[in-house]
Amino acid sequence: MVKFRSIIIGVLVVAVGIGMVLYLSPSEEKKIKKQFRLLAEWVSKEPGETPVTMAHKAKSIGTLFDQTCEFKIPAYSFSGSYTPEEISGYATQGRLSFSQLDLRFYDLQIVFPEKEIARVTFTARLTGKLAVGESVNEAHEVESILKKIEKRWLFSQFEAVEVLKK
Amino acid sequence: MVLNKKIRQFFLPSLTPAFLVRALAVALAAYLFFGYLCTPLLIHGQSMEPAYRNGGFNFCWRGRYLFSNPKRYEVVAVRFAGEKVMLLKRVVALEGEWVEFRDGKLFVNGREIDEPYVRYPCHWNLPPRRVERDCVYVVGDNRNMAIENHLLGQVSIRRIAGVPLW
Repeated sequence: MVKFRSIIIGVLVVAVGIGMVLYLSPSEEKKIKKQFRLLAEWVSKEPGETPVTMAHKAKSIGTLFDQTCEFKIPAYSFSGSYTPEEISGYATQGRLSFSQLDLRFYDLQIVFPEKEIARVTFTARLTGKLAVGESVNEAHEVESILKKIEKRWLFSQFEAVEVLKK
Repeated sequence: MVLNKKIRQFFLPSLTPAFLVRALAVALAAYLFFGYLCTPLLIHGQSMEPAYRNGGFNFCWRGRYLFSNPKRYEVVAVRFAGEKVMLLKRVVALEGEWVEFRDGKLFVNGREIDEPYVRYPCHWNLPPRRVERDCVYVVGDNRNMAIENHLLGQVSIRRIAGVPLW
């Protein structure tokens, strides 16, 4: 019995060790997922957000993007190439029209078609309340391209995937 | 005394190899069943009211279309990039059929379709369109909003993950 318990404890220690190594070693996929987590955090808005937080988030959003980022999102009539500063400006405008906003990314599928380029397909879910009181609850499949520039993964393209064709 | 021992054994079982094997088998079976075959669904949104209410709970039965294709009137779960976020919609037209809305009434191949599940007023108009190969046309039951604000359209059969269990 003592031997069996020792084996169980040994297996648990090894499993925790492997888990810690995997957790602490930042793979490229983890770095990309972190960029998505930051984008979601900075786009989202809590009710009663202070102007200081708003300014900090708006400025931070721009740091996640390449020199130009191309958008093809017909659902929002948002297409074209934009600089990080322009994206920050649009994000600020968009966030102002919401009293509360929650952006989340699900099911990130990451592939590396070329060195230092990543293609990510994911589901973006946007929920919240407009300043005029109307509720928003939307989900879209999106394909994004990220480029690794100076050891940082930066967004360079977003394209909405048409799931339902009217 | 014997009963007490049994109760104690039930709530605080001895860590024997047989118990661990049983516990692992139950955990694995539950993981496979609820993770891949019958996945839990939490319903957000009013698109399928009154059949499926906002905040309701259900399961997505994934085995439904293993050997068959969706049929008219069936409610299906449509996946996006993955299966964490899905749309619940009703199939109203099949591959090769012509679908249109005239003042809120659904027409398939020029014939009006009876839709007892639509309870709220609808005044949609949509010119006829043919459902493409390997696709079905899906619409929500709640059409009490502008057609522009409702997600409807043809979707590839490959995107249909399953059906709600009830």
